Amino acid sequence: MLEILKKTLKTGCQTTKYPDVPDVAQAGFRGMPQLLSDKCTFCGECVKVCPSGVITITEKSDEKTLALSYCGCIFCGRCEEACQFDAVKLTQEYELASLSKEDLVTIIRRKL
Amino acid sequence: MNTIIESIKKEFNNNILGVSISHNETYLTIKKEIIVKMCDHLYHHLDIPLVCIFATDEREKAGSFKVHYVFSLDREDAFIILRIDIDGKNPKFPSITNKVAAANWYEREIQDMFGLIPVGHPDPRRLMNFEDWPSGVHPLRKDFDIKTKPPRVVGEYLYRRVEGEGVYEIPVGPVHAGVIEPGHFRFSVAGEPIINLEIRHFYTHKGVEKLFENISLDKAVFLAERISGDNSVAHAVAFCQAMEKIAGMNIPPRAKHTRTILLELERIYNHIGDIAGIATDVAFSFGAAHANKLKEDVLQLNERVTGSRLLRGMNTIGGVRRDIGSKKDEILLRLSLIHRDFRKLMELLFSTPSLMDRIETTGRLYNDIAKGLHVVGPVGRASGIDRDTRRDHPYAAYREFNFKVPVSKAGDVHARTVVRGDEICESIAIIEQALWSLPEGNINIKADNIPDGHALGYSESPRGETIYWIRTCGNKIERCKVRDPSFCNWLSIEYAVLDNIVPDFPIINKSLSLSYSGNDM
Repeated sequence: MLEILKKTLKTGCQTTKYPDVPDVAQAGFRGMPQLLSDKCTFCGECVKVCPSGVITITEKSDEKTLALSYCGCIFCGRCEEACQFDAVKLTQEYELASLSKEDLVTIIRRKL
Repeated sequence: MNTIIESIKKEFNNNILGVSISHNETYLTIKKEIIVKMCDHLYHHLDIPLVCIFATDEREKAGSFKVHYVFSLDREDAFIILRIDIDGKNPKFPSITNKVAAANWYEREIQDMFGLIPVGHPDPRRLMNFEDWPSGVHPLRKDFDIKTKPPRVVGEYLYRRVEGEGVYEIPVGPVHAGVIEPGHFRFSVAGEPIINLEIRHFYTHKGVEKLFENISLDKAVFLAERISGDNSVAHAVAFCQAMEKIAGMNIPPRAKHTRTILLELERIYNHIGDIAGIATDVAFSFGAAHANKLKEDVLQLNERVTGSRLLRGMNTIGGVRRDIGSKKDEILLRLSLIHRDFRKLMELLFSTPSLMDRIETTGRLYNDIAKGLHVVGPVGRASGIDRDTRRDHPYAAYREFNFKVPVSKAGDVHARTVVRGDEICESIAIIEQALWSLPEGNINIKADNIPDGHALGYSESPRGETIYWIRTCGNKIERCKVRDPSFCNWLSIEYAVLDNIVPDFPIINKSLSLSYSGNDM
């Protein structure tokens, strides 16, 4: 009993103040992928390698669209690996909860 | 190896139709009629454990189904695989369950998935195809399209009946109180002691083996990683090793060391989590809080090292995807702190009477039962089964390191806790050795094309022996059999709870650390 008390006092409070104080993920953490429209060439490599098939490319007469849905993303980082133009980056962002599915899609467009 | 094959040949001379050897696997094609006698001979006479049974649908190429019986020759790092042909027009094969109890679920799985009937099986009920699944529809047959949505039908599942004066039934689940997966437990009790337990699972059967057949090779590793969430490294490594074996690849030594480190990190956080769970279930919240804190320390270390708390995304066919060399000092430092705290915590746990009272002699799994059911991993080792894939079939870099395999004979919750505690200390020692001797060089080699072939891949997950058998054809997976340790271990709970009181069930369950997801594939 005495040992338990001693250990409890010595350990103190271990929980963090999250969410009042932000809890920043480690460098190298595989979080929310980001599409960079200024670098993207719409080559479609990331679409091919995505294991869960959440990256889609659509082409209309005047516009190309690349969309990535976080709903099914497994944060494997293959898109980042496959992109020769550094247009996909996995960020340290992990707070992805949302009220609608639409908010969980990131889209970049290019006028043709 | 050769002497055993020779002795089998001598014994069953006319019944062996063909022998082929690839890597450390010897395939014996034998007559269907002799399978019971031969399995009995291997299992009981030669004392070789049966580690998996699976079927393949080869009607298109070979005109028949095949059933494979995988025996593990632990002493010689080899496998003997018996293979029988089953004609599609007469889809029946002799059941070996009456002789080898460990075959029970495998044969019922084959019955549901392939429609091959194990004749003489003592429990011919359906296992995975539930009563609302139409008869004659078998998902792993090649002519079953993955997009098929069979109609629901009306049916009934019959549980074993336990009757007598004062005997009553307590059905629990499939929906449980906590955030866990579904499973049904039907207790029969007389007073407080449990006199029978029947479990029913596979509520979330996902058809993973079918999914493998419909996914490209480079993406399949991510599927393997997600079969059993907290054993993702073990599954990914077993999968990759099977592929690398087929391709005849020898991955760089640095990748082998890295895999070993990841596998041991996975074992550490799982085992600490199990110990925390046992403390929780005996309401020793102090112990639970400290064990959970240590588990969190390991998870944060995982994130620092790999970018994923559950060590995902690290393995690939041909090696690993990230180099962890620069994190060496950090891993060593943090693990030494964790090790120190963990040892003190275990001393404290084992000197707390309120905990010891609840775990000593509780949930005893006797050696003969454990052996008969082929219980694997720390649960098996706590019941005196001295098997460990890392030592018996060394893979990754395990051959190069010194480590002990803790074994206990007691078979109770206490023994399982002690074995896990000792394994954590061994794991830390393995990681230290691997980091100190981390070889220079590449961490992966390119694997663009996988030739046609088949091979076994295996690893020792925190729950025990994990086995993959993969056949590739035309750069696609033709068949991927996954055998998670929980598939072997779940039935042991029916025996471990006998004569225990109902309030001890959660502790026994926790100490067996069974995965729903790995089982309901």
